[in-house]
Amino acid sequence: MEKIKNISGITRFSLTELFGPILIITAASCLIGFSSASLMLTVQFALCYFVMVLALQVFVGNSGVLSFGHGAFAMLGAFVSGLLTAPVRIKNNALSMTDLLQSIADIQVNLYLSLLIAAIVGGVVAGITGVFLMRLNGLAAGIATFALLGVAYNFFFNNTKFGPGSQALPGVPKFQNLFIPLLLALVALVLVYLLNVSSIGRTLRATREDNLAAPALGINIIRVRRIAFALSGALAGLAGAMYSHVAGTVQVQDYYLGFTFLTLSMLVIGGSGSIWGALVGTLLVISVGQVLLMMEQGKAIFGLSIDLPNGARAIFIAATLVVALLWRSSGVTNGKEFAFPNFKKKSN
Amino acid sequence: MIQAILDAISLGGTYALAALGLGLVFGVMRLVNFAHAELITISAYILVVTNDLPLLVSFIIAAVVTTLLAVAMELLIYRRLRGTGPAIMLIASFGLSVLLQRVYELIFGALPKSAAIAPWMSGEVKVAGASVTISSIATVVITIVILLIAGYLIERTSLGLQLRAAAIDFKTARLLGVRSNRLIAAAFAISGVLAAIVGFIVVVENPQVSPMYGVNITILALVGIVIGGISSLRGSALGGFMVGVILSLLNTFLGNARVYAYSWLFLLVLIILLVRPGGIMSKANEMERV
Repeated sequence: MEKIKNISGITRFSLTELFGPILIITAASCLIGFSSASLMLTVQFALCYFVMVLALQVFVGNSGVLSFGHGAFAMLGAFVSGLLTAPVRIKNNALSMTDLLQSIADIQVNLYLSLLIAAIVGGVVAGITGVFLMRLNGLAAGIATFALLGVAYNFFFNNTKFGPGSQALPGVPKFQNLFIPLLLALVALVLVYLLNVSSIGRTLRATREDNLAAPALGINIIRVRRIAFALSGALAGLAGAMYSHVAGTVQVQDYYLGFTFLTLSMLVIGGSGSIWGALVGTLLVISVGQVLLMMEQGKAIFGLSIDLPNGARAIFIAATLVVALLWRSSGVTNGKEFAFPNFKKKSN
Repeated sequence: MIQAILDAISLGGTYALAALGLGLVFGVMRLVNFAHAELITISAYILVVTNDLPLLVSFIIAAVVTTLLAVAMELLIYRRLRGTGPAIMLIASFGLSVLLQRVYELIFGALPKSAAIAPWMSGEVKVAGASVTISSIATVVITIVILLIAGYLIERTSLGLQLRAAAIDFKTARLLGVRSNRLIAAAFAISGVLAAIVGFIVVVENPQVSPMYGVNITILALVGIVIGGISSLRGSALGGFMVGVILSLLNTFLGNARVYAYSWLFLLVLIILLVRPGGIMSKANEMERV
């Protein structure tokens, strides 16, 4: 007999699992973010990545179906929110946007409203495409979602009516402080946790573990996947919008292959089965990158100064990813939710 | 017109070779090897760097290095990840792909390296009253020859039989005495040789080699193997060929709207996948279950 698998992410609502990550994110963001101005920016980017990884966790982690299409929803969210909030004066005068539709150029809404609109647009587009895409499985689903990303990239890269095309959109307002992205990330975290312990989350994980037994128990696989896809599309839209307000610009390349794979790697390295895994993966990848960056710039870390040649950083990050997967293929957290470390000796 | 048709066929042939290399590896171990792109890139780099040597010598060096790199990938990384599931192997292969790109950047620099490889190939000849480039004819010939050799290898030899058996059902093939480690290493070696040939074909047309040189062709070849039919090698090659032909035709006939060629291609891919989830070569209701 096959050994019963160590099934990840079986959760009943537990305060520890929810508040552990909340405390860690808040503490880490404040401690690191307020230590220097450059780290403040890193923390804000990290929070955007975390929301994106959460979006991937909802769908990819719970359903086990690979999606490259979330980059498309993030791209959409970024363009919607960036174009809605950039000042009218800039949109009408910037050289890169002479072809922009007049109705887009003349509109300007509040930052918070635009974030909400970005999430809704991401969710609606994911919901509509999901109706078709969720009929697919395995590699076909992966390639189909990739095709979605390809279409979105090709469209936004070349179209100058609905955006700046291949150029950067200037004048996107930045978040005034750390607390707005932090709060958004925490809200996303709570929503995803509630979703994961709801019947949708559980049935979705059931379909991941055994997609013959799940329908036999009355689960409509396509239906739960469609719901999860739409919800995670909304989160991806929010993540993309947040990213644009941290970067202060929107550039289509920022949401393409690099972004998609970086966030997927964060999820897989941390452990795709849980929110805790999403957090650990994001923290790990960002901090490895940051530490290497500081070394490259010749800064001392904990009083230790190691000089790295330029270009070594990128090699190390990629190597870390490969080594992490070789070392622990189911992720650093093994797909488990947060728990206080148990120092008692195990009985078996 | 003849040039357009030849271009379409030669681009299709190139993608078919890339798709065949990817499909071979996918067949034996369900691995979508993104790092195949870096195999194509290294072949192109070596051809550029060793351009002073005779073409044949330079190509042999490129083929040997590419094959060794492909086998090293399997021995050092993919072998240890076997059985962890396609998603994890795919992410790992992407990590490896980025890693190699950065290593190339360190070795060869971030700026494109270029050299005139086989300059006689960019000359033109008259065929049926129309002038066509030698390189497009050469590409078509090379592709046909390689596909014939690969077809012979796969259909007529014991190795090919094992590869096909493993592609259909790896577990059963092992039970029947197929040596998995050797077979998988062989699949990687062949995919390395194919990547070297693809590298040669593309570098003749476009000698500006940069670290991400092979990425585009690999992604399109991947799209090709999925729409062609993942589980059969013939389907993979056919799918790759179709993607190349469609892309080339779109580029020719879209005129000013050719910047949107990729959008149309991907939309077509989506439609094909929705109608035939298992690829064109599969039966209508056949699809991967997980």
